[in-house]
Formats: sequence, C-alpha cells, structure tokens
Amino acid sequence: MRADVAERPIVRGPALTRAALVLGGGVVILSAALVVGIGLGSVAIAPDDVLRVLGHRLLGIGATSGVSDATETIVIDLRLPRVLGAMVVGAGLACAGTVFQAVLRNPMADPYIIGTAAGASLGATIGIVLPLLLPALAIGAGSAWLGLGLVQGLAFAGGVGTVLLVIGVARSGGRLPSVTLLLTGYAVSSLLAAGVALLMFASGRALAAIFAWLMGSLAAVGWIDLAIAAPVVLGVFLVVFARWRSLNLLLLGDGAAAHLGLDVGREKLRLTMLATLATSAVVAISGTIGFVGLVVPHLLRLAVGPDHRLLLPASSLLGAALLVVADLGARLAGGIPVGVVTAFVGAPFFLWLLRRSRRVTGMISS
Amino acid sequence: MTPRRSRILPLLVIGLLAACARTPAASSPPSGAPASTSVASASPSSAFPLVLTDDAGREVAIEAEPDAIVSLAPSNTEIVCALDACDRLVGVTDFDDYPPEVADVDRVVTMAQVDVEAIVAAEPDLVLAAGNELTSTTIINQLTDLRLPVLVLYPESIAEVMADIELVAAAIGREDAATALVGAMEGRVEAVEAAVADLEQPRTFYEVSVFEGTIYTAGEGSFLASLIETAGGEPITGDALSTSIALEDLVAADPELILLGDATYDTSITPETVAERDGWGTMTAVADRRVVVVAEDVVITRPGPRIVDGLEALARAIHPDAVAE
Repeated sequence: MRADVAERPIVRGPALTRAALVLGGGVVILSAALVVGIGLGSVAIAPDDVLRVLGHRLLGIGATSGVSDATETIVIDLRLPRVLGAMVVGAGLACAGTVFQAVLRNPMADPYIIGTAAGASLGATIGIVLPLLLPALAIGAGSAWLGLGLVQGLAFAGGVGTVLLVIGVARSGGRLPSVTLLLTGYAVSSLLAAGVALLMFASGRALAAIFAWLMGSLAAVGWIDLAIAAPVVLGVFLVVFARWRSLNLLLLGDGAAAHLGLDVGREKLRLTMLATLATSAVVAISGTIGFVGLVVPHLLRLAVGPDHRLLLPASSLLGAALLVVADLGARLAGGIPVGVVTAFVGAPFFLWLLRRSRRVTGMISS
Repeated sequence: MTPRRSRILPLLVIGLLAACARTPAASSPPSGAPASTSVASASPSSAFPLVLTDDAGREVAIEAEPDAIVSLAPSNTEIVCALDACDRLVGVTDFDDYPPEVADVDRVVTMAQVDVEAIVAAEPDLVLAAGNELTSTTIINQLTDLRLPVLVLYPESIAEVMADIELVAAAIGREDAATALVGAMEGRVEAVEAAVADLEQPRTFYEVSVFEGTIYTAGEGSFLASLIETAGGEPITGDALSTSIALEDLVAADPELILLGDATYDTSITPETVAERDGWGTMTAVADRRVVVVAEDVVITRPGPRIVDGLEALARAIHPDAVAE
C-alpha cells in the first residue's frame, strides 16, 4: 500500500478547474450557511429587517428606523458573533483535525486526541469551580471580565500546556514517534479526565455549567471572543497551508518522508503545536465540540483526495459551514448541545460516503 | 464594537447621581444578617434611578420603575407575584408553576437553557437571575454586557429570603407590599420557633432524592439544613458541595426521623419501600416507623415567599403534636 501511494507524484497539483470548483462550492455553501444562520433563530425576525440592520450597522447604508432596538441587539450582538463564532470554531477544528490526521497517520486522530481536550476541560472546570471556592473571584461589580476570562484563559492554557507536556514526555532524541505520542496523549488525558471528574463530583451547583462546557456551546460567543480566536485560527491556517508539502510527505510515513528530505521530528513538532494552538483557541471560546474535527477531514479526503493544497482549505470551509448549520439546528431545537447536532447531521452522511468509497484506509493508516 | 467597555461609565454616572440624591439603596447582606436590618423604608416610586447591591455583591443600576420583568427562577417569579407585580412579568422559566397566572407568560428558559434572544426580544427593564450558577455566570455576564439590569438573587436562609423580597420590592417600587408580606412571614416563623422551642430535636434525615445509589440530602450549612433546624430537628447533612451522603455515614448517623421529600414527585417512594432498601432497616427511624412522606418538597426547596409554608410543613412532620395544621 505504501509503495503504491509513494509511486504517485505527490506534488502534482489537482486540475486547476477541479480545485476552483471544490473551493468555490465550499465558499457558496459557507455563505449560504451564514445567511441562514443570521436570518433564523428562536425569535422570528423578518428577513428585510435583518438585512436593514446588517446594512446599516456593518456597511453604514440605509437606516434602521422602524426596527426595534431589541431586533438590532439580537442581530448584531447575539446572532452575528455567534454565527461567526461557529464559522471560526468549525474552521479551526477541521483544519486542526486535518493536520493531526496527517501528522499522526491515524484514522481516529482528531484535534483533541493528544490531550488538548482533556487539558482545556480541566482548565475550564477549574475556572468554573474556583470562584465558588474563592468568592473574591466570583462575579461582582467590575469583575465580569475576570469571570469570563478565567474559564477561557485556563482552558487555552490547559490545552497548550497539556500538549507541551505530552510532547516533552513522548519525545526521544529529536524524534516524535506517532505511536508514542498517541499513547502518551491517551495516558495524560486519562489523568486529567480523572481530575475533571473529581471536580465535577465536588462542584455542586456548578455541575450544570461544567457539563454544558464539556458538551460545547456557542451560546456565549461575543465579539471579544471572536477578536481573540479568529486571528489565531486564520494565522494557523495560513502557516499550515504554506507547509502543505510537509503534510503530504508525512502521509508517506516517517521513514519515507525523511528519505525525501523532510526533517520529520522538527516538522511534526511544528505542525502539532500549530494545530494545538488553533484547537485550544477555539475550544476556549466554545467548549469541546465533538465530531467536526474528526469527520470533516475524512469526508473531504474521500471527496477530493489527500493532497493538502486542496484538502486543507476545503476541510476548513466545510467545517465552518457544518458548524454554522449545526448551531442553527441547536438553537432552533431549544438550545440542545451543538455536538449532538453535528453528529446527527454528519454521521449518517459520513457512513454513506464510507460505504461508497473504500479508499479511506489506504489514505491514512500505516 | 463591544458594549463591554462602555457600560462602566454610565454605571458610574448613575451611581454618583444616586449618591448625590441620597437615594436609599437597599442591599441584601451576603449571609447571616437578620432581615429587619435591610433598608426597605423608601417611600414608593420616589427612589428611581437607584443602585442596588445584589446577592452576588454586584451593583445594579435601575433607571426607572421596571414594568417588564424577566424571571430566571421560579422562586424569583413567586417573589414578583407576591409583591402584586405578576402582570409585569414578560418572561419566566418552564419550571414556573405558581401562581397560576404565570402559565400565560412566555417561557425564556426551557430545560435549564436560557434563551438570550428571547429575553432581548421581550425588552425587559429588569432581569431577576439566580445565584450560585443556577443561572450560569456566562449568561449573567452576557445579559449584563447587553446593558440589561440583572439582579442576582441567592438567599441561603429564611432571613435572606425576606431580605431578597425587600430587595426586589425596592427594585420594582413595591416597598409597601413587601412590608406587609415580610411582616406576615416573620410572624409565622416566630410562631413555629415558639412551638418547637423546648422540644427534643430528633436527628432528622431529609431525602431530596436517591439516584443510582447516590443519596442526596441537605448539604452541610445549606438552606435546607437551616430550615430543618428552625423547624425543630437536628439535620443529618451531606457534603456541602455535592449534597450527597454515603449510606454508611447515614447508617452511622442513625436518623430518628426520615422525611421523604422525593415522595412529592415519585409515589413509589413510601415508608414501606424505604424499609425494604438494603441497609436501611437498622436505622432507628425505620425501626420506630418514623419514616414520613413530605408532599411539600416544592415549597421546602423553593426559596420564595412560600418558604414559610415549607417551614410549617417541616415542623408538622418533625413535631406533629406541637404544630397544628
């Protein structure tokens, strides 16, 4: 199987028209998802009111006379940041998932697999429980910033810190063997998950808040969250995209990639940290939303092939669109966890695609 | 782009104005203080704009007498309605069942999920949230960022329920109604205290629920524990945070009286089925047949105006001979 893949000229680009078609289609799907996501919600708002508010507040055209302040607030301060947040989180998770699957060459790899989720969860849980134990940190006049920032800051730090720890343990002599990385990530995750469980047990009333965070939600995404997460995701995407050659080479296995001139250990480290950065940034604002980072890259690999020049942007676009639509579904269904919707929407489609195409095993597993 | 930065200035201005005008600002002490020390003497409708301190220690500015109120907890709803302002409610939770007239009010909380869009659409001028993560901090911050006045209520004793009634009364300009309501409540509390004053205090275990073998009861230092104490019992408490107690610890504590609060919702929980549970037969309460169904769990565990109904129900269950119907 390996020889079969290696024989193919992997730096050959996909036909330009096909790439344009795929990415153009992705942009159209994402745009449609954004429009529907902003247009619909638990409160019914007439489409022309939505357009008038958006036109006035974003582009400075027209006026919002006749539109109530409440409608304006709902569109600008609630729906817009939430929908854009879903886009950023979905894109970040799908992009990171694509990278992790290439680096680890494991079909079960997702953005959470080597400890980001467990670390971020422990950080967030501490951030939720701490104010209960130290009332000085609790919500109070002027400390709303702290109340909000504590959970997100600790989640981000937990995600990045855990991966640094895992890499530190798994690394030996400049090499970063995927199997060791996976097993180390699993062991460290288990340890941290036990910490989360312990805190949940002792959290009393905060249990619901912890539970909601662990299931993931975009309900609380505001402009500040976006301003922090969006540049990180965009930056990581651009840097990773520029390294598409490395990603394609890593699919061949560490040995073959090294023979073809790749500094495998260093490149894996670099890509892992980049993907971890994006994952931790989006998880900090949304909690752990499952499924998107695992299945979207697989889905696109089945659809457009393994070349990361096309796979990476296509995955990111579809991840963004999927999460916008899933979050809309979650909102319309009375606030059910968005992870439930992503699985309901994506899993059957993925299974169908999997049965049609058997290529998936050859693409990724060693 | 964000409203966060800009909300501090208006708050300061309002605060200064309020201070200059010597507006009486009611405040609810975080714990322990008797209700009678709360300021509730402002003359009606003269106080706005005002700044109140809520149970989370937040300063909340209210510019004019609110006429559109959203309640995020059934106990808050009951306080508003007991102050004769039920008609001002524009949003409640799907758990709200009392008083009957709230049945027609829009639900802005379903399955514990707060629908912020629906709250904004209701255009409230006051939101009554619940503390200690019953309303999540995230939601409170989100609503505050949208410049909605959010008053967080978290009473931890009967005295604090009464203080919160006075706090809400100040916030909605109904101080006169609060004076009468709190006066009546104080009278009933004193009557219970007098009736049980010289009686033995049985070791009392209140069963909140039993789920998959985990027994939930009054947490150490909790509202429920203090309620049992006031009603003349010695509460057997669980962990302060998880509110659970291990069966071993319960057997060792050996309750003389078991109150089945969960029987309110589940008719399969009876003194007979409790006696059949493994390990429960050795308890004094079971041997003495002092396992009592308490059908008033709703008012016992809901920190609203009907909490005195709950206190009286508990006192009747603990001391049936001393406390009359």
